[in-house]
Amino acid sequence: MMVYWKTKKAFGTVFDIHTKNKIMKYFVYLLFFISASLLSQTKYLTKNGVVGFEASVPSFEEVKASNNAVTAILNADNGEFAALVLVKGFRFKNALMEEHFNENYAESDIYPKATFKGTLKDFDKSRLNSGSKFKITGELMFHGVTKTFDDIDVSLSSKGNEIQMSGKFQTLASDFDIKIPKIVRNKIAETIDVDFNFKLQLK
Amino acid sequence: MKKLIVIVVVIIVTIVIGYNYIYQDHRNIEKEQPTYRAEAKLLAEEFSATPAASEKKYLNQTIEVSGIITAISDNTITLDKTVYCQFSMNISGLQEHNRIQVKGRFIGYDDLLEEIKLDQCSISN
Repeated sequence: MMVYWKTKKAFGTVFDIHTKNKIMKYFVYLLFFISASLLSQTKYLTKNGVVGFEASVPSFEEVKASNNAVTAILNADNGEFAALVLVKGFRFKNALMEEHFNENYAESDIYPKATFKGTLKDFDKSRLNSGSKFKITGELMFHGVTKTFDDIDVSLSSKGNEIQMSGKFQTLASDFDIKIPKIVRNKIAETIDVDFNFKLQLK
Repeated sequence: MKKLIVIVVVIIVTIVIGYNYIYQDHRNIEKEQPTYRAEAKLLAEEFSATPAASEKKYLNQTIEVSGIITAISDNTITLDKTVYCQFSMNISGLQEHNRIQVKGRFIGYDDLLEEIKLDQCSISN
């Protein structure tokens, strides 16, 4: 309180009203720029990213699906990345397979969402020429189970206001507590190939 | 002889039924009657009030939504900034700010962007 009064007094005596207004004006500008730089994160986002998986066994019908309504957000200031997959959006060629996937394996009525949250290691937007390689580490949540993935290879390329991000990794059905019944075990691979492709637009 | 014919017919029928079961057609959302009809704005209010319950209620259901187009990209439109509809057909004739009625399958609530997502959409008016 004392300090406030003293300062006020000092301003009152040393500066006239004009200088005081000027100082205030600069102060407001400064405040504005500080807050603007804090708030404005460069975010890239897509609503129709593609995530696919395949668990096919050679010479049997392909077990493959793709989802092209995936939301993904990349924060280009620090390399933070998040994706949200609506499990019902996975489309199979075979309708019965799609039904079984939703009802028996992914149980999409109980677990409608799959999410990924992670960070691109040593991300630097200025390094994004065509086909830069990065590594991403993060957590994938699917079928109510969370699993951490380390150092998934990701290629990024930037063109104008767009960053394209793609890559693939492997995982096991058992990692996500998905049981494959004995009768179909030889028709569905235990190792699942997952691939993703996001065309992120500057927001 | 009669017995043989009966057996053959039964086998053929079983094969046909089995084949049709395994290779059945996908749902045709365009031809389905909507289970729910809603205004995009009201639907959005319902979802922001009770996200989990609403998601459960509409999941995998065919809904008919009407609203104003606020964004268009390749094969998707957004109604009233909250309902995201993905089409499988060409939608080049649509324009922003127009009122439209869309039928599609609800696949889930995107809580990152607070959007309601529909796929296999078709224009119903």
